[in-house]
Amino acid sequence: MLKRIKLVPMLFLLPTLLFLGVFVYIPIVQNFFNSFFDFSVFSQTKEFIGFRYFKELFEDKILMTSFANNIKYAVISVIFQVFFALILATILEDKLFRRIAPTLRVIYFIPVMISISVIALLFSFIYNPQMGLLNSFLELIGLESLAKPWLGNATTAIYAVIAMSQWQSVGFITMLFIVAIQKIPKDLYEAADIDGAGRIRMFFNITVPQVKETMFVNVLITVTGSMLVFNEPYILTNGGPGISSMTLSVHMYQLGFIKDNMGYASAVATLIFVVTAIFALIQIKVSGTGKDE
Amino acid sequence: MKKILSLLTLLVLVTLVLTACSSDKGATTPANASVNNKDVVEIDFFHRWPNEPRKSFYDQKIAEFQEAHPNVKINVDSVLNDSYKEKIRVLVSNDGLPDIFSSWSHSFAENLVSSDRIMSLNDVISEDTAWSSNIMESQFDGFTFNDATYGVPFTVDGKAFFYNKSIFEENNIQVPKTYDDLIDALDSLQKAGYETPLVEGLTNTWAISHYLGTIFQRIVDPEILAQDYTTPTAKFTDEGYIKGLEIFQELTSYMGEVSTAIDHEAARNMFAAGEVPILYMQFAEVKMVQDIGDVNIGFFNFPSIDGGKGDQTALTGAPEGWMLSKNAPPEAVEFLKFLTSPETAMEFTKADGQLNAIKGGITEENANPTSLEAYDILLDSSSTAVWFDNAVDINVADIFMRGGQSLATKQITPAEILKEVQQAVQKLQ
Repeated sequence: MLKRIKLVPMLFLLPTLLFLGVFVYIPIVQNFFNSFFDFSVFSQTKEFIGFRYFKELFEDKILMTSFANNIKYAVISVIFQVFFALILATILEDKLFRRIAPTLRVIYFIPVMISISVIALLFSFIYNPQMGLLNSFLELIGLESLAKPWLGNATTAIYAVIAMSQWQSVGFITMLFIVAIQKIPKDLYEAADIDGAGRIRMFFNITVPQVKETMFVNVLITVTGSMLVFNEPYILTNGGPGISSMTLSVHMYQLGFIKDNMGYASAVATLIFVVTAIFALIQIKVSGTGKDE
Repeated sequence: MKKILSLLTLLVLVTLVLTACSSDKGATTPANASVNNKDVVEIDFFHRWPNEPRKSFYDQKIAEFQEAHPNVKINVDSVLNDSYKEKIRVLVSNDGLPDIFSSWSHSFAENLVSSDRIMSLNDVISEDTAWSSNIMESQFDGFTFNDATYGVPFTVDGKAFFYNKSIFEENNIQVPKTYDDLIDALDSLQKAGYETPLVEGLTNTWAISHYLGTIFQRIVDPEILAQDYTTPTAKFTDEGYIKGLEIFQELTSYMGEVSTAIDHEAARNMFAAGEVPILYMQFAEVKMVQDIGDVNIGFFNFPSIDGGKGDQTALTGAPEGWMLSKNAPPEAVEFLKFLTSPETAMEFTKADGQLNAIKGGITEENANPTSLEAYDILLDSSSTAVWFDNAVDINVADIFMRGGQSLATKQITPAEILKEVQQAVQKLQ
């Protein structure tokens, strides 16, 4: 009797485990092994070189720039997506906005639904130095001195890419917060109202503590997402000009498929895996997610 | 009993899910077979022209070939330039090369050949001289490695400064013969009100490589160049590279801020719209310029550089052609011959405007005077220099190309770029 009960859930899990194994876990292990070899896509032979590529990681100038860019990505994304999205969600859930909230939610959520490639192309038009919307807008409001070739300038390129990501993702994070806010018992706010608390007080004393769990999850999503970011810089700037907007994933991709250095690309991939895993572990530990209370 | 039944249903479901994912081919073959009972040979054809007019040209050629060969079905796929380079690498790494596909010459072709998955065409070429003797012998060089030819050239191309004849005449500017003349011309154009007398889409790193390749060829001693372009002997210590990078930086100063934020196509559109007087372009682009505007195009080769040790009248350019995978069926060879026949070449140049590698393949019949002028420059050039990114290892080219972008935005110095290159070649050796 006992045996049968255990078998059924296992069978339900089997397809998922199989897919996860084949498409996630085995490649991770394979990639780790690949990073010990020197090999090219064009040749059938692999040469074992041990930890050499891992040593090279520390001397790689492009890698350092990429890592710094990923950190910038993460910091800006947490500030903008998590904190700004929480404020946005609170406003949308406020009584004052009840009527137009559904429309606004749709507007904020639309970018999440559009493919990132389409959005990147769209933004490459917006950022276009000659006829782009952004520079035209700056001229219109009399700030033409601020107009720049956003993606062609080594100092602004990475920020232009990051800005696009914020626009795309803020809707998704806002939605998660809205769901969390809707679950907060209404009587908390009613009690606070009776006690004479203002909106800002309610936000800090009720909303923020109540959505703590969601906030940690969102920080986790944005930080790991920032460490993995590929499409946005790849399509908009290809890491350029120079290496100014390179990220770890773009660097890894170019090492593997353009510079034909598969082993080293695997080493970079391993680094990305480790960094992301560390961030995830720290956040799980700090937030206590997954623990039964 | 019920439990056993539900277990069985579950098992069936799981197997169904798993097989549905793995048996794409198995599921479609019977359907195909029932449609065509004859033995149909399928050929995978991969090229890099998803844009017009070439896409339609090849689609039409495929249709013609299939009509003449009812037993052949050609599956075509195409992606643009940079994506093509990446995709073909992925295909070669997992043994998924298409039967016939387009390829650049020299290092690009050589890399593919090193995979040992490309068909040697020596026999095909020697057995059918009626076909192969029509193709310019000189253009086979870039596809020949260790005495075996792995590709058939189809287009020839060269790079020259395209200039707007009307703007030059209006401002009384002579066609530059030397580099100093070019700088004078650019200065005069700037004085005449052209803020960016020269432009380039520097987001395309290959465009930078075309500049650098030509400049290095003009300046650096050919022997040193040959030694540096071969990875095992490369040093890149010659002073000429620094001077070359300085020249490139000087040229980018005439391109304005816009150049690092646009691509080559945007730059070409600016030239075609008459906004920019000079642009470094390929002969393959003649028709594209003509299709957009009615600019009166003239050409001049990259001018000679004082004190340069290379051939000052060499033309930068290389052919492109077709390659076959080792396991390609004989029908793919037939298709290759069809694609490189004189008839196809004549029609191709007429439709596309690009110069072809067939002997006598450019005449007044299929090319306009501008293209004929370009063809003459090509045939008259004393020697040809290969595209830089095809001539050196991609790791070296990448440093120069990204360095070129940083030079344009003044983030790096020529000496720093060269130092990085020297470190890279040491690692490669």
